Amino acid sequence: MKAPFSSYLAGIAPGLKELVSLLRKRYDYVSVLSTDSVGFSVSISQRAKSVARQNMTTERGTVVRVYRDGLYAESAFTGFDPSKAAERYESIVGELDAQLRLLKAAGVEPFETGILPDEERTVFAEMEMARLPQAEEIAVLVDRLSSVSDSGMEHGRAKGLTLIDFQTRASSTHVCKLFLTENQDLRQSYVYSEGMLAALVAGKERTDLAYVSLSGRKGPELFDDMDRRIPEVLRIAADLVSAERVEPGEYEVITAPEVTGLIAHEAFGHGVEMDMFVKGRALGAEYIGKRVGSDKVTMHEGALCAEDVTSYAFDDEGTPAGDVTEIDRGILRAGICDALSALRLGVKPTGNGKRQNFAHKVYTRMTNTVFDSGESSLEEMIASIKKGYLLEGMQSGMEDPKHWGIQCILDRGYEIIDGKLTGKVVSPLVMTGYVPDLLGSVSMVSKDREIFGAGYCGKGHKEWVKVADGGPYLKAKVRLG
Amino acid sequence: MAEGMNTALNTLLDVLKSSGADAWEVSDREESGWEFYFIRHRLDQHRAKQIRAFSVKVYKKFDAFLGSATAEIPCDASAEEMRRTVDGLCSDASYIRNPFYTLNQPKPAEESGDPSAEPDLEAISGDFIRAMAAVPETETEDLNSYEIFVSKIRNHFMNSEGIDVTAVYPSSMLEAVVNARRDGHEIELYRLFDSGSCNREQLTEDISEALAYGRDRLITSPTPALGKIDVVFSTDPARELYSYFIDRLSTGMVYRGISDWKPGDTVAPPTLTLQAVKFLPNSSRNAAYDVEGAPIRDLTLIDNGVAKSYWGSRQFSQYLKVEDSFQASNFKVTGGTESAESLRSGDFLEVVEFSDFQCDAITGDIAGEIRLAYLHQNGKVTPVCGGSVSGSMPELISSFRFSEELRQYDCLQIPAVTRLHDVTVTGAE
Repeated sequence: MKAPFSSYLAGIAPGLKELVSLLRKRYDYVSVLSTDSVGFSVSISQRAKSVARQNMTTERGTVVRVYRDGLYAESAFTGFDPSKAAERYESIVGELDAQLRLLKAAGVEPFETGILPDEERTVFAEMEMARLPQAEEIAVLVDRLSSVSDSGMEHGRAKGLTLIDFQTRASSTHVCKLFLTENQDLRQSYVYSEGMLAALVAGKERTDLAYVSLSGRKGPELFDDMDRRIPEVLRIAADLVSAERVEPGEYEVITAPEVTGLIAHEAFGHGVEMDMFVKGRALGAEYIGKRVGSDKVTMHEGALCAEDVTSYAFDDEGTPAGDVTEIDRGILRAGICDALSALRLGVKPTGNGKRQNFAHKVYTRMTNTVFDSGESSLEEMIASIKKGYLLEGMQSGMEDPKHWGIQCILDRGYEIIDGKLTGKVVSPLVMTGYVPDLLGSVSMVSKDREIFGAGYCGKGHKEWVKVADGGPYLKAKVRLG
Repeated sequence: MAEGMNTALNTLLDVLKSSGADAWEVSDREESGWEFYFIRHRLDQHRAKQIRAFSVKVYKKFDAFLGSATAEIPCDASAEEMRRTVDGLCSDASYIRNPFYTLNQPKPAEESGDPSAEPDLEAISGDFIRAMAAVPETETEDLNSYEIFVSKIRNHFMNSEGIDVTAVYPSSMLEAVVNARRDGHEIELYRLFDSGSCNREQLTEDISEALAYGRDRLITSPTPALGKIDVVFSTDPARELYSYFIDRLSTGMVYRGISDWKPGDTVAPPTLTLQAVKFLPNSSRNAAYDVEGAPIRDLTLIDNGVAKSYWGSRQFSQYLKVEDSFQASNFKVTGGTESAESLRSGDFLEVVEFSDFQCDAITGDIAGEIRLAYLHQNGKVTPVCGGSVSGSMPELISSFRFSEELRQYDCLQIPAVTRLHDVTVTGAE
């Protein structure tokens, strides 16, 4: 079935259109983004349980963007009364004018930008899903997650693990967004869900957390068979408690798809966000058309290039979703771009203008960032390594778009000696390096690939949005510490 | 507050009182914000926001258990939408059964130490804009871009036990990206500062420090493979080290089995004292009450290395038989017996910029890639870059040395210099 568009947004749309008309008399460009996203979050463990009819991406509010004299401004608000568009108009204009007076008094000059195009367009996208989060029987879900937690504890103990707890989390969001200008009326509705299973396990000298995640542009049906992931969590828990420290140095490694995804995200995800080009913050601007990786490296970015948590019909500026080939057989071809940065750079926007929520500014942000598959099998890749590690599990990453340094904190390394896994595990791992060196060292790529969408991405250390990333297994050379 | 908005709150309270919930909490949060985005010193965009929402939690009692469920209700929700949501929460709460605990009771807060007046968005914004325009840049070190966020927060908390308290405070954030260039090569450093309002002198000092580090970053050599060496922390990443102590004493971490620290245990170096404090100058988190309506007060958590008290939410505190706790917001670490200067003696690596330094609250693992460090070896100082620092807090605590001088990072006041012994440093060569 299709996820139905919000009746709340449909109800306030006439009032918002009136607001756009009023603002257009004063400003040269006006757009409105209004959101009504509902959902839930349920967390069940042996020690504590919680349920919320909200999560990190549920929201209801409106943001107005206006343009005049080369300058863009925005006003975000809650509580729009469609019968009082004129009052809202006065409030918006009054506050933005007060800001302009302050800026003028301080002698601030604008970073002049052209006007956004406003061609006539309508979109009404209601995407497929099986169940809506707002209609989900919480009692049934709580029972299911409790059963997973109980089963995880039972099986963990049977394996001889000292489990402190077995946690489960499930959240689901029905996203509805309405984008209006004088000539555009865009509406989209879709559902995405994400979950986690985690074992808190005590070893001889330390406590650790083993986890797996799941995600998809699906409804709460995603959680129907969560229990099948229990053995994987317990396998990771057993590996972590037996892990040793890695001997720092450079190694040949194979990155599992979640680690591949982290590299994609940090290397040429953030590295080619083109709002950074506008500020002169990204080295990538100077490398378009140049080699940044081996022939084995091809990478895509866009809401259309996979179906996961951030696969929308249009972005938060009304730009249609895209699929950008960022790296083609090692050559950097293109970046991703929001609409204002595109105007400033003289390029086309790619559908990557995203906000944390209606109250936040648009930045160029990632959607699905993925390496293309190759020709090798994982077995062939392992067999090709003399001494190295198979890297699994990601904790966090950080990029340096200006200098192309990369930091990935990883969960586990499985030792490979003479083409065979030895059973030795090392944890945790800090993988560091210079992005072109890392991508230049990619010598084998597996046939299969996976995408992961359970995480959030920040711009700097703020502005958290949903993203998904992944790819196949990659063989490369990296520095581990 | 607009009359219509008062009506919405009253409607919600009526809905809650007639809902069948055994107890409830409501937080009515309003934020007025002004934001200014600059590229170099030119205005990229300006923004205003006026947002409000009700956070609601309902409770259902079942003998030895207490069920609860939460939701955010939009401020323009109709009475019918509010009723539907609250009815749903009452139903959800009956399936979420945690061991029983009681809600906070009305209790007066101690006298506030915060002398700040009602926040003035325009005045605070003006202070930030002028302060950033006057940052002492040079031809080779300057500001690439910066973003100014100034908010006035009004939080009105009520519960079914009779608590009805309101806090109004300023909350500001400044993101700054600093560039430095030399011989055609340019680098950047990133800063994110949280504060109450604008402290122009402190801001100028902090940005000037970043500009100086930018200059040094350009003359770095690759970090050698040092194996084990003493590492000195004297900038923002040091917060992660002290957050480990704070986190390990939170009732949530202890109840969930992540931390096994107990009052009476020796958990920190012998002279280290950690306090939750109600007020820190210009903190963005100075408030008389926590998010559950409990009065915030000064409380010693670690006294000379020995754990004294837990802090945390009402639920987990009661599970640990801590009756009078609260969710602390500001923390202060004291007890250093050495000067910052004496901690910088002998051979050591002082790391001032990481890509992202982290301390895992569960394992105590610390890790981060080095963006700028000063290697002090055999009386020589060499700026270095690349490679990583890694280690384990449980293993490093016994060698923890920290200065008597303090430095404040928003809601955390900690020793200005911290030195850890024999930390693993992976080189970049």
